Amino acid sequence: MSEPTIFFSEVNERQGAFTRRAFLLGGLTGLGLTALGGRLVHLQVLEAQRYQKLAQSNQFNFRLVPPPRGLILDRDGITLASNRPNFRLLVSREADMDVEKTVADLAQLVPLDEKRQARLIRDIKRAPKKSPVQVMEDMSWEEFSRINVRAPELPGVTADMGEVRVYPFGGAFAHVIGYVAKVNDRDIKAVTDKGLTVDPLLYNPGFRIGRQGVEKAFDLELRGKAGAQKQEVDAQGRVVRNDPEGDIPATPGKEIRLTLDADIQQRALEVMGEESGAIVMLDCRTGDLLCMVSTPSFDANRFVKGLSTPEYKALSEYERKPLLDKAMSGTYPPGSTFKPMVALAALEAGVDPETRINCPGSWYYGGRTWRCWGRHGAQNMHDAIKNSCDIYFYQTALRIGPDPIAKAGRAFGLGQKFQIGIPGQKAGIVPDRAWKKKAFARDPRNQIWFPGESPSFGIGQGYLSVNPLQLAVMTARLANGHTAVTPRLIKSIAGVDQPHGDAEVDLPYPREFLEYVRGGMVAVANDTSGTAYRASQLGLGDIRMAGKTGTAQVRSFDKAKSRSSASVRWGLKDHNWYIAFAPIDAPRYAMAVLIEHGGLGGGTAAAPRAREVMRVALLKDPEIRARITQPMPMPELDETAPVEGAAPEEAVAGPPPAQPAPAPPTTPPPTPTGARR
Amino acid sequence: MTASALTRPGERDRLIVKFAEIDWTFCLVLCLIAGAGALIMFSAADLSWTPWAAPHLIRFSIFFVMMIVLAMCPLRWWFWSAYPVYIVALVLLVGVEVAGDVSKGAQRWLVIGPLRFQPSEIMKIGLVLALARFYHGMSADSARASWWLLVPAALIAMPTLLVAHQPDLGTSLLILFTGVAIMVLAGLSWKFIAAGVGSVMVVAPMMYFFVLHEYQRKRVDVLFNPEADPSGAGYHILQSKIALGAGGLLGKGFGLGSQSQLNFLPEKHTDFIFAALAEEFGFAGCFSILFLYGAVIFMALRIASISHSHFGRLATAGLTATFALYVLINGAMVMGLAPVVGVPMPLLSYGGTVMMTVMIGFGLVQSVRVHRYSEVSSGRGALL
Repeated sequence: MSEPTIFFSEVNERQGAFTRRAFLLGGLTGLGLTALGGRLVHLQVLEAQRYQKLAQSNQFNFRLVPPPRGLILDRDGITLASNRPNFRLLVSREADMDVEKTVADLAQLVPLDEKRQARLIRDIKRAPKKSPVQVMEDMSWEEFSRINVRAPELPGVTADMGEVRVYPFGGAFAHVIGYVAKVNDRDIKAVTDKGLTVDPLLYNPGFRIGRQGVEKAFDLELRGKAGAQKQEVDAQGRVVRNDPEGDIPATPGKEIRLTLDADIQQRALEVMGEESGAIVMLDCRTGDLLCMVSTPSFDANRFVKGLSTPEYKALSEYERKPLLDKAMSGTYPPGSTFKPMVALAALEAGVDPETRINCPGSWYYGGRTWRCWGRHGAQNMHDAIKNSCDIYFYQTALRIGPDPIAKAGRAFGLGQKFQIGIPGQKAGIVPDRAWKKKAFARDPRNQIWFPGESPSFGIGQGYLSVNPLQLAVMTARLANGHTAVTPRLIKSIAGVDQPHGDAEVDLPYPREFLEYVRGGMVAVANDTSGTAYRASQLGLGDIRMAGKTGTAQVRSFDKAKSRSSASVRWGLKDHNWYIAFAPIDAPRYAMAVLIEHGGLGGGTAAAPRAREVMRVALLKDPEIRARITQPMPMPELDETAPVEGAAPEEAVAGPPPAQPAPAPPTTPPPTPTGARR
Repeated sequence: MTASALTRPGERDRLIVKFAEIDWTFCLVLCLIAGAGALIMFSAADLSWTPWAAPHLIRFSIFFVMMIVLAMCPLRWWFWSAYPVYIVALVLLVGVEVAGDVSKGAQRWLVIGPLRFQPSEIMKIGLVLALARFYHGMSADSARASWWLLVPAALIAMPTLLVAHQPDLGTSLLILFTGVAIMVLAGLSWKFIAAGVGSVMVVAPMMYFFVLHEYQRKRVDVLFNPEADPSGAGYHILQSKIALGAGGLLGKGFGLGSQSQLNFLPEKHTDFIFAALAEEFGFAGCFSILFLYGAVIFMALRIASISHSHFGRLATAGLTATFALYVLINGAMVMGLAPVVGVPMPLLSYGGTVMMTVMIGFGLVQSVRVHRYSEVSSGRGALL
């Protein structure tokens, strides 16, 4: 290897080359620094705002603050649905969190069985980051504080106080108010199907959505608007501090006041006992619904927590159908309670009410025997209503035909759905010639109305079906006398008075006709020979009640078997009805009572219950109370009182079974107002 | 002291004279940069001297004194030590390969007794010294184009490949570029330079597909679209850009940077300290720091150009190139212009090893300035 020899000239050459190249290097570095400066201008000057926003969305999180759900009150402000505190345990997944260990730690603090633990681990792992999973709710105070003390050592675990819906009356309002339940996929889909964005509240753990009745129909009003708590979080998602100035307060749900009266409703539920049926009462001047009970009922609070499968099965499979709102979703033949409509139609059609029709107990027409439940002799219209004589109404209906009767029924609200704010009404059927043509469109031979179909229509059987709400409205309109009142359930929302859903028109019948029919109904309840005389005594002096009994048949009778329901099984017994209004001189309250498969005539099962509920309503009314100096005790009832029965639709050969004659009253009629015992 | 006095023989070897010859402006700029680093660390640690700001300052003070001491060393000492340092560094690199401590998935650290250090840092100095020494005895013609050039090529290639195998792509590229820069400064023929640039254009894409590790390839991918994987590989770049941009013109203010305070910014005290600075001091702060870095580079190149010895020139320029590369690579990385490689911002970032390397380098630069009039013999033993 030879040593390089460097000469002086070469040294200068090397230095010259170096200086040029050093300049170049310096220039390149300067260029690089300039490029960095340019990038800084781009990021920090031109796009600063965009990055500032990104930094903020890193820095701040908004925690959803659920609003308190609006209260539901009765007409006097008694709470029917409210919220109670609920201590909940939540776990949200954090980065590199040992889910198994966290759940095992929790199991030491609160009772969690193996199965629940396994499910929790799965749920927490599946949940999106920062979205908490509810581990427990309704913890005791001890459990709540135990968790809170340990929470700092358990990342992702929080115990907070939420609210949960509570229904202080349990089952009394279950069908009207409904209940709230956990949000499911169908609820989310229902919102997205409408093209709306899903309220993030729906994803909040523990949030409940309205599922039935008022809770469902007014869910958005009751729900309110979620607030937000501004929190500063670090990169691990832990809350560094709260920023109260950035909080958005939650807007509480609106308060909804119903027209219902808690006392009347409670009493109605009580008097129904274990019977299956419904009681609907309304103020016949305003149409405000005071009572709408369907029995048997269920405890809505159980649904808030979530029913277990056996619980749900027990409710849904019970033959008395607790989940069905019989007051408006069940339709039944009205039986004899429909007779006032037939009478009204006859008056309108020009039938002289004083013309008497003889009731020998049965009537042969169209190749069959039509039976009456008694042998009433010569009856005018008044007596026929009072005695609920089937023969009179068979013949009258046959004479005037179905159309005027249907017209009367519809004018009084039958076959109609009312806009009361909650869904679920069944319209039922009010048949006439036009209806039949449509209903039997596929059966041309059956499209005409056969005269033989009129007699059963005349006693509220046949195709006719109504719901208890409609019958109560019908009674209210009869009692009102000139206005077709419409029912109202929602009194006010957030203090704003709510209008009636339907327009109120004048009844298309002369007042004297209505007066006449009402006279018949007064006789039913006040004439000692009326079908519900004894069961209609209120013991409130001259505050008296008028009514009409009804027995609706649910089976066809065998030729050989007795018409009496006493021996058949529950599901085949007749329905019992009673419609009533009071006071008779200036009607205020109208009601309809249905006892499903009550067996005996309307006077025995339905009427006594009507009178109990009516008394509560009357005694709550200050103007009525002012008229009564001292209420009398309600007269005792004799359970072996005469019963009214519906006539069979099928022809029955042979003589009708003997019916006991009405027994004479065992107690004197009530003494006039003001009398002392 | 008059200029005539300095011409007296032996006068320049007096320590007090040497001390005065140190570029104190240069030193002041270094102190400013290190001080800025400590300030940001103080803020990032939630206004606390621990765990970063105080050690950073203490370390800097020690290394600063060391730099002054090194500046006193005659140039020939550096010259003599050039090859030994290189060889020791190379042996240690091989040692890392055999018995290195694995940290974060890469073998970079060597532990000898209580000492734990990265040999690649020593190599940064060693390579510059060795190349400067080699070119010192070489004619301009040989340096332009000759078979002798295979020697510097080999000197560069060995450490580059060893470091790349650790794998530490950032440092390996730094070593490669520094070496190439010295070759260019020494007067490499433009033909070779053009050929080199051309082959890099061809080889770089191939490297991407065949040589890079999966995680390294991802870092390149996210450069073009950091939003594609915001919580994974793109996280660093995205958060760094947010911190920079959110700083705006004047910054959020001292101690008020949410990105760094709440730990959204990763490595806020080391590799991404520039982003933390940008967030709190904005464009004004960033521009000032970049200006200081530019000043350091400019002053160092000036020192190189006034040196009488070829060794001093090349060594100073080589170290300046290393420093400039640090600044440019880290700056580009933080601003989302380069893939994430483990290259810190010199003096600003927390970390003793890199600071030591840089300060030893500046000790040499100051030594070159102090001894700018002295020649180094190129006589016998030029190669070894």
